[in-house]
Amino acid sequence: MAKKQIGRREFLISGGVAVGVLAATGVGVKYLDISHTGEQLRQDFLRPPGAINEVEFMYGCIKCGLCVQICPVQAIKLADIHEGLSYGTPYIDVREQPCDFSCDALQCVETCPTAVLNFEQFKEAGLKAIEKATEGKDLRTTDVNPFEVQKVAMKEAVLMGKASVNKNTCLAHQRKGFKGISRGTDFEGIYRAPDSKFAYATPLKDKEFDREICNLCVTECPIGETAIEFSPGRGSGKMRPRVLEGCTGCGVCVMVCPTDKPSIVVEPIKS
Amino acid sequence: MAFELLRSGKHKTPLKPKPMEEMPHTQLGTDYKTWCDSHKGTHKWRNIRWPVLIFMNLLFVVSFVFDLAILEGSLSGSRLIGFYLMDPFNALQELAITSTTGYIVHLTMNFWIGLFTILIFWFLLGGRSYCSWMCPYHFLAELAEKLHNYLVKTKKIKEHAFHTGLRFVFWFGFIILALVTQQLVFENLNVVGIVSRAMIYGPGLLLFWVFGILLFEIVYSKRFWCRYVCPIGTTWSFVGKLSPLTIKFELDKCGYCRDCQIVCLVPHELWFVQRGKATQEVHYTGSDCTRCGLCIDTCAGNALSYTIKGWGTVL
Repeated sequence: MAKKQIGRREFLISGGVAVGVLAATGVGVKYLDISHTGEQLRQDFLRPPGAINEVEFMYGCIKCGLCVQICPVQAIKLADIHEGLSYGTPYIDVREQPCDFSCDALQCVETCPTAVLNFEQFKEAGLKAIEKATEGKDLRTTDVNPFEVQKVAMKEAVLMGKASVNKNTCLAHQRKGFKGISRGTDFEGIYRAPDSKFAYATPLKDKEFDREICNLCVTECPIGETAIEFSPGRGSGKMRPRVLEGCTGCGVCVMVCPTDKPSIVVEPIKS
Repeated sequence: MAFELLRSGKHKTPLKPKPMEEMPHTQLGTDYKTWCDSHKGTHKWRNIRWPVLIFMNLLFVVSFVFDLAILEGSLSGSRLIGFYLMDPFNALQELAITSTTGYIVHLTMNFWIGLFTILIFWFLLGGRSYCSWMCPYHFLAELAEKLHNYLVKTKKIKEHAFHTGLRFVFWFGFIILALVTQQLVFENLNVVGIVSRAMIYGPGLLLFWVFGILLFEIVYSKRFWCRYVCPIGTTWSFVGKLSPLTIKFELDKCGYCRDCQIVCLVPHELWFVQRGKATQEVHYTGSDCTRCGLCIDTCAGNALSYTIKGWGTVL
């Protein structure tokens, strides 16, 4: 290997090229940043629970994938470059597999080493709820289970997005019912239904529905009556789903919706 | 004494080259060429290192696929049986950004535990030994290097070398970029992370970037990424600056053949093997050395060996 000595001149030239390349990269990144502001998230893609605002998320997330690993329903995926999100950052495609809270303790948030999925808010919410539930009660005799209280309070504190119903396609809005398997027998999505006998998530295709007026999004909601209700419309009096304040944007309703295009969608929260 | 161990000895006046009768091949009574080639084809350390590298990376994959809590995450951040580990260059970029935005309050205890655990771990094992014993891209690049060497040997292409100081330009550059753009820019170009993530979570389009770099290494410049760009390797070489585990060179066993420099990823670390360059009877490789062991395998006189500084030869 006859290598000639590389001197200062060569270093300055290659160093200059390197600085140029770096600067170009920086300009490119900044340009993408500006041109993407406000639409960084695709409508149907959510960040995992507890995600801090998108700008801080971008520099905080080291793309390690620990949240992907720990999710028992494998709702979280890492973005590729063509998916409209920054490469390697986690997202949830709720139509395919939403977060159904069957891990019970927001494990993705707890595992995040850089706290871009920030656990503090959930910890606080859980402790507050326990305090409230046990207030004035004798802890030795009360039948309040603090873990259950904490679990519920933590999942209710999640805010990934807000669901909204598309009146034009919603079966209930057209006074239609639904009978059968919601997304077909090939659909892979799993969740833990509120009436499920199991402690873990089971496939959606295993469950048969028979509803006079379709209300799957209401009955399958893991949050329950604070998030969505099935109630008569003010004018028409027809029964239809109505999203309430308590909606966490988990997206289970989007997955179970039997129409070809989901008639209920979750819009990510942008802060 | 301790300070003396840290210095390379390059500043001293060189020792006189050995006369012919003190050369190892004359003492053995063999021909110089035969002596030089006597260890060709020995791959003892490589045959240990590659399985270790593959095993460690497979641990990541297996942990995800079978949902085992052994080594979860990827090379940019992981958990070893529940213990957090953190890529130090990522951590550095993050700290650089957080120092200006105040996000630092959010960084979890796991972040600090992960950062310091891995710094201590690789410090003890030699810093850049991460590259040759852990990094999946290093493995790919080693295979690419073989192809490159073949092309150079058959005169299909010419070798292009750059200044090794380029790494520091990139190292500072990427940190400044992170500061300016408020993003972990390097992570989008990081071939190590991309390969690691592709193995664990499934391949993505960004693998073409990795193939591009590999192709560039094959047809233009040998080990371009590892030698001149990778800020992760540079970070590890800072960590390994004072590392005890390193490679020891004994002048009296050396035959000045420079085979070790030819196989080495960072030949400048073996500056003392050239005839008339060594200033001491014993030299240690510096912080850029990846402790890969290729030079140990190829050395006909066993002049090179793994050692723990200040504790005598262990291996």
